[in-house]
Amino acid sequence: MTTTLRTAMPAAVQVPKRSGLVRRQIATSCTYAALVVLAGLYILPFLIDVANSFKSEPDAAADPLGLIPATATSAAYQRLFQADFPNWFKNSVIITVTVTAGRVFFDCLAGYALARLSFTGRRVVFALLIAVMAVPNVVLLIPKFLVLNQLGMYDSYAGLIIPLLVDAAGVLIMKTFFESIPTAVEEAAKIDGAGTFRRFWSIVLPMSRPAVITIVILSFQASWNELSHFIVAAQDPELTPLTKGVAQLASGALSSGTQYPIKLAGAAVMTIPVAVLFFVFQRRIMNAAGGAVKE
Amino acid sequence: MATMLSHARRHRPFGRDAMAGWLFVLPVIIVLGLFLVLPVVMAAWVSVSDWTGRGSPFSSTVNFVGIDNYRDLLGEPGLAQRDFGTSIRNNVYYVLLVVPTQTAVALFLAVLVNKRIKSRGFFRTAFYFPSVTSSVAITVLFLFLFSASGAVNRMLSFIGLRGPNWFADPRGIIHIGLGWLGVDQPPAALTDGSLLGVNWWEWASGPSVAMCVFIVLAVFTTSGTFMLLFLSALQNIQAEIEEAAIVDGTTGWQRFRLITLPMLRPTIATVITLGLVGTWQVFDQIYTGTRGGPAKTTLTPAYQSYSASFLNQNWGQGAAIAFVLFAIIVVLTAVQRSLLRERDNDGKPGRVLSTLSFRRNAGGDS
Amino acid sequence: MLHRRRWIRLSVAAAVAVLTLSACGSGFDSASGADTPGDLTVLIGASGDAETNAVKSAVAAWSAQSGTKAEVVVASDLSQQLSQGFTSGRPADLFYLSGETMPGFAANGALEPVGERLANVGDFHDAIKASFTYKGKLYAAPKDFSTLGLVINRDAWAAAGLTDADIPTTWDQLAAVARKLTTPGRVGLSMSPEFARLGVFLAQAGGWLVAPDGKAVADSPENLRALEFVKGMLADGSLKFSSALGAGWGGEAFGKGLAAMTIEGNWVVGALKNDFPAISYRVAELPAGPGGRGTMQFNGGWGVAADSKNKDAAVKLVEYLTNTDRQLAFADAFGVMPSVKSAAQQWKTKFPQQAAFLAGGDYAKNIPNLVGISDVIKDFNSQIEGLVTRDPKAVLGSVQRNLQPLVGK
Repeated sequence: MTTTLRTAMPAAVQVPKRSGLVRRQIATSCTYAALVVLAGLYILPFLIDVANSFKSEPDAAADPLGLIPATATSAAYQRLFQADFPNWFKNSVIITVTVTAGRVFFDCLAGYALARLSFTGRRVVFALLIAVMAVPNVVLLIPKFLVLNQLGMYDSYAGLIIPLLVDAAGVLIMKTFFESIPTAVEEAAKIDGAGTFRRFWSIVLPMSRPAVITIVILSFQASWNELSHFIVAAQDPELTPLTKGVAQLASGALSSGTQYPIKLAGAAVMTIPVAVLFFVFQRRIMNAAGGAVKE
Repeated sequence: MATMLSHARRHRPFGRDAMAGWLFVLPVIIVLGLFLVLPVVMAAWVSVSDWTGRGSPFSSTVNFVGIDNYRDLLGEPGLAQRDFGTSIRNNVYYVLLVVPTQTAVALFLAVLVNKRIKSRGFFRTAFYFPSVTSSVAITVLFLFLFSASGAVNRMLSFIGLRGPNWFADPRGIIHIGLGWLGVDQPPAALTDGSLLGVNWWEWASGPSVAMCVFIVLAVFTTSGTFMLLFLSALQNIQAEIEEAAIVDGTTGWQRFRLITLPMLRPTIATVITLGLVGTWQVFDQIYTGTRGGPAKTTLTPAYQSYSASFLNQNWGQGAAIAFVLFAIIVVLTAVQRSLLRERDNDGKPGRVLSTLSFRRNAGGDS
Repeated sequence: MLHRRRWIRLSVAAAVAVLTLSACGSGFDSASGADTPGDLTVLIGASGDAETNAVKSAVAAWSAQSGTKAEVVVASDLSQQLSQGFTSGRPADLFYLSGETMPGFAANGALEPVGERLANVGDFHDAIKASFTYKGKLYAAPKDFSTLGLVINRDAWAAAGLTDADIPTTWDQLAAVARKLTTPGRVGLSMSPEFARLGVFLAQAGGWLVAPDGKAVADSPENLRALEFVKGMLADGSLKFSSALGAGWGGEAFGKGLAAMTIEGNWVVGALKNDFPAISYRVAELPAGPGGRGTMQFNGGWGVAADSKNKDAAVKLVEYLTNTDRQLAFADAFGVMPSVKSAAQQWKTKFPQQAAFLAGGDYAKNIPNLVGISDVIKDFNSQIEGLVTRDPKAVLGSVQRNLQPLVGK
C-alpha cells in the first residue's frame, strides 16, 4: 500500500526520484510474485481434486500431481451415482433449502421485533441471544441428541432441520440492519393504518435486500456444510446428507482400500453448489463477511 | 439512535407492539430454548449421572453419581484420564500453532490484497474460497494430498526429500527434533512426573506429524475469513495510514508496525478470540480424517466426547468432557480478552456481530 | 383492523410452525424404514457388495417364506448406529454383533438373551458360544468365525528362491524368510497395526491378556517376548505396518505388492478375488512361538434388540440365517467359516485351500469379553502404532493397568 500511495501523494518523502521509482517497481513485482505463489497454493488443491477424480485409482497413485489425467475416466462418478450419493444430495438440498428459508423468515421477524417493537422483556431476550451464542457448538453434540430423542424427533427430517431453523447471529444481523433504516417510512405507513406485520412485510423487508441476502448466504453455507448435527440427529441411511455420507466414505466405513478418485469425486460434487453460490454472490459475500466490522 | 427511538416510542400509543413483539420472537425463543438451553440442562444432569444410554436419562433407574465422571477425567488415574490428558495435549499444540499462524497469514494476505493492484478481486476470491467449502470436502482432499504417495510427497521428491506418511505418523515433531540432536530416550526426570496421566516427556512431544496436517488444513480454511475481517479494518484506517505516510520519511515497515498494527489491535483481538473458540472445538476434520489416530495423537476433547458417548455408551463421561471443554473455552477467552483488552471499545454493534456470524467458520467448528 | 388481524394470524402461524413440524417428527419415526409394526430391520456391517447381496437375498427368501417383511440396512458405522439405535429406543431388530462390543450392550440391557430362544443353539461350536456369553447368558447367535493365517505371495516366494519346505514354522524361520523377501520396493511382512493382528504373537509366546483363571496378565514375560520379537522385525525393516506403506489394511498392502506376506483372516480371500484377482497366493498356518502355535479368532454373531417390537420373528430370522445351508452359502459368497458343527465337514471338502484357517480354530484365542474391553484394545492399538519408538515393557504395563479394573467387575 505504501508504494502505491506515493504516486498519489506529493513527494514529501525525501527519496531521490529515480531510486524511488526503481524501488517501487521492485516492491510491486515482489507483491505480485507473492500473490501469485500464494494464490497458487490456495487454488492448486482444488484443481488436483477435480483432476484426480477423473483418474483411475492406480493413475491417481502413480501421478497425483498431474492436472490432466493420462486417460480420463468418469468411473469414479458413475460408481458414486450408483451408490447412495444421489440420495445424500437430495437430503442436503431439502435440508439446506428449508433451513435457509426458515432462517430468513424467523431471523427477520425476530430482528424486526428487537429493533422496532417495544415490548416488556425485549432486553432480556436480547441478552439471552448473546448468551446463547457463547455456548460452543460442540458442547451441544450429545445433549442435542438427547433432546431430539426425548421429543421423538430423532431420525426424522424434522430432527435434522428444526434445530438449525433459527440462528442467533442472524437475528442480530437483521436487528442491526433494521435499526439503520430510517423510521420515517414506517411512520407514514402507520398513519395510513398499516398493521405491524404489514409494515414489516411490505415496507421494511423489501428495503432489506442486502441484509436478507447476507442471511441467505450464511444459512446456505452453514447448513450445506453442517456435519456434527447430522451425525447425532439421525442414523437412517435414507436420511444421510452429503457431508455425513462423504465423511463416512472417507473414513473407510463403506469400502476397504483407499479409492481416492471416488472420495475426491464426492468432495468435488459437494463443493459445486457452494462454489456456484459463491461466484454468483461473490461481491456480496466479500461485503457481507467483512462489512459487519465496517459498520 | 436507540435512545432516540425509545424516546419517540414513549410518546406514541404502541400498545399492540408488545404482543406483536413477543409473537415475532417466539419462534426463535422456542427453537433456541429447545435446542440450546434445554440440551445444556439435560447434559448437565447426564454428566453427574450413571446413565448408559438405555431409556430416558430421567428414569428412576438412573442414579446420581456426583462428580464421579469428572473425577474419572481429572483426578482418578486410569484410561479415561489418560485419554483426556492426551486429547488436551493434542489440542493445546493445535491451538498454539493454528491461532498465531492463521492470524499472521490472514493479516499478511489482507495487507497484500489491500494494495492498489490489478486483479485483486481475483486474489481475494482465491484466498477466501477454501473458507466457504465444507470441512468434509477439504479434509477428504487433504487425505489425498498428504497420503503416502500423494501430491505433497511427490512435490517433496522433486527437491530430493522423502516425505513421511503424514496421516499415519504418530511421532511428535519436538520428539523428532530431539531425535536429530541425539536425544531419543526420555530423560528419567521427564518420565517420572505426569499430569492427567500423561508424563512430561509425552506432554513435550509436540504435535504429531498427522496433527501437523490438520494444523495446515485449519490455516488453509480459516485464513480467508479472517483476511476479510482484517481487510475491512484496514480500509477503515486507510486515511490515517496515508496521513502518516506524508508526515515523515518513515519506511513502510515502520508505518505498519507503529501505526497500522496498533490500530488493528481490536480486530486482532477479535480474530484471536474467534480462533481460540474455533480451534478448541475441532471435530469435523478428525471425524472425517483420522478418528483420533494414529496412536491417539489427533484425539481431541470434542471427538473424545463424541466417541465416549456414541461409541462406548459412556454418556456421563462424554457429557463431562463437553462441560470441561466449555469451561476451558470460557476461561481462555476471558483471559485472552483481558490481556488484549480493546482500549477503544466504542460499543458499536458491528464488531460483536461479525464476531458472532463468523464464529461458526472460525477454526475447527463447522 | 383488518391488517391487525392478519398479522396476528401470520405471526401465530409462524410461531407454531416450529411446533407443528416437531409434532410431525413423531410421524417419521421409523427407526430404519420398516413402516408397519412387525416388519423387521436388519442392520449389517458388510465387508463388501458380495456380503451385502448374499445377506439381502437370504433375508428376502425368508420374507417370502414367512410373510414377514424385513429390510436389510447396511451400516456405514455399525457401532455408532447400534449405539444410537439402542439409546433412541428404536434399534434395528437384529444386527451384526462382534464379541468385542457385546459386553457393553449386554450390560446396559440393550440385548435380548437370545440363547434361550434359539432352537438350533446346540449346533454352534462351543468356543464361539463362549465368546458371546456374558454372565452366563448367550447374547448372540454365532453366525460365522474367522481365524488369522499367514498369506504368502507365491511369485515373491519363488523369486526369493524359497520352496514349500521353507514355510516358516518357528519365529526364527519367519524372521528369516521375511528378511529374504524384503526388496527395495517391498517388505517381507506387513499387517495392520492393531492387537487384532499382533495378538497372534502373544498367543504364540504362550501369553495372553487374561489368564484362564480370570486374572489380567497383560504384563507377563511371555507377552513382552512377543512384542520384542515384533519390534525386532520392525527395526530390521522386514516388517512394516500397512499404514506405513500407505495401505488401509494388510490385504491391501499385500494385494498391491507392497508386502510379500501378510497376517490376515478368511476375508482376505474374497477381498483379493475382488480387488486384486491377478495375485497368486497361498495361506499357511502361522508359525509356532516359544509357547507353541497360536492365532486369533473373530466371531460374528446375530444380536436381537431387547426393544424389538417383533422379537419372535427376529429370532426366527436369526435361526434361518444361521442354519447349515445358509451358512454354507455365506461361506461361498464371502469366505467365512460356518459357526455350526453340522456344516464343518462340507465346508472342509469345499474349500481345501483355506484349510489353514480352519486348522487355526483348534488353538485360536478370543478377545476377552469384558465390559470396556474395546477401550483397552483401542488404547493398546494406539501404542502398537508407535511401537517402533516405544518400550514394549511400558506398553504392556499400561495395558495391564487398563485391564485390571475390568476383570474385577
